[in-house]
Order: sequence, then structure tokens, then C-alpha cells
Amino acid sequence: MGLHCSCYCIDGWVGAEAWEAERLVEHVPEDAETIIVTGQQWFWTFEHEDGTKEIGELHVEVGKAYKFDIISKDVNHAFNIHDYVVLLDAIPGRVNTVWFAPDKVGEHDIQCREYCGLIHYNMRGTLYVTEPTS
Amino acid sequence: MKMIFGFLIAMAVLVLLPAADFAFAAGDEPGEYLDRRVVIWNLFYKLMTVAFTVGAVVSGTMIWQCWRFRESHPKAKPTAYEGTDW
Repeated sequence: MGLHCSCYCIDGWVGAEAWEAERLVEHVPEDAETIIVTGQQWFWTFEHEDGTKEIGELHVEVGKAYKFDIISKDVNHAFNIHDYVVLLDAIPGRVNTVWFAPDKVGEHDIQCREYCGLIHYNMRGTLYVTEPTS
Repeated sequence: MKMIFGFLIAMAVLVLLPAADFAFAAGDEPGEYLDRRVVIWNLFYKLMTVAFTVGAVVSGTMIWQCWRFRESHPKAKPTAYEGTDW
């Protein structure tokens, strides 16, 4: 009885913690700026809300929230900003969404985390976090 | 029964209510964003703590059973199947 109770309590706690974390992480702020992230063999393209496009590098500002709409033009990729724990698959025919808010100025690696062909290892980019302009 | 109710109330006050409050309040203020690194790594460390604690209890129980029910334990009692001529 006591053992069963303990098991249920621990299971419940683990489930609640995981549910809470998932809910927090998936709650996109309303004022987040949308960036369309396109993966294709073997580079990343970023399109900002104002139509600006960047290839292989992404410029964002400290203190703002950004929502990535991640798509793929050919095979499966995975968009990863390791330093900000952003990781989501880019799947042809799907739009996957993840968001983050950079909190410090700096440069961070962007890389593909799903083997996507011969030059997968070099499907990289750089995230530049800059001071806010306004 | 009273103990179980007390335990559940204590758990609700200490863990569930603050967690639910935090979850439903998150991200509503413009300009205040949670740090996904903190959330994800917090979850990782909590679950690792649970995993290692459960592992320690389970393996500790098994080690204690091996120690307690060995043949040479002073309180060991042979079963009927093992005979009683020792």
C-alpha cells in the first residue's frame, strides 16, 4: 500500500513537472516576431517579418521574443541553437514552431541536428544577438 | 487515512498550487519572457534527482535483501524445503 502510494506520487509529480515545463516552453508570447526558417541542403535561410532575408546568419535583438516557423524544402533537417536550447525538426510539408528570447549580446552557433546528406556536417549558421536598435 | 489527507494537502500547498499558478501566469506580461534554458534544465535536474533517488532506494533494498536473507545471517531460518538438519 505504502509502496504503491509512493510510486503513484512520484509518477504524478514527474508527469506534472514535465507537463508544466512543456506548457511553459510552448507558450509563445503574443508580441513575438515571426521568423521563417527554411532548411535545405545544405544551408539555412531566415526571413524576417519585414521581408528581410538572411542566409547562414541570423540577426536578432536582446530583449525581444522571436517565433521560428521552421520548414524544409527537401529532406528532414533539424534547426538547433545549442546555446539557447532551441531544437526542432524541419520537415517537408510541415510548419514547426518554436520560440526563444535572447537575453545577452553575443554570437551563437546554429546547426543542423538531423543527418541530411553529404554536407550535413557543414550545414551551419551563426546567430548574432545585438543591442536593441529602438 | 488522516495521514494520507495530511500528506496530500501538504503536497498541494508545497508543490502543486505554486506549480499551477506559475504555469498559468507565465508569459502574460509583454516584455517578460521566460528563459527556456532555465525551464528545460530545471526539469532535467529534477527528473535526474528523482531517477537517482528511486535507483538508490531500489538498489539499496536489493542489497539489504541479499544481506539480510543470506544463509549465514544470525537470524536466518531455513525453510522446510531446505531441511532442518543444520
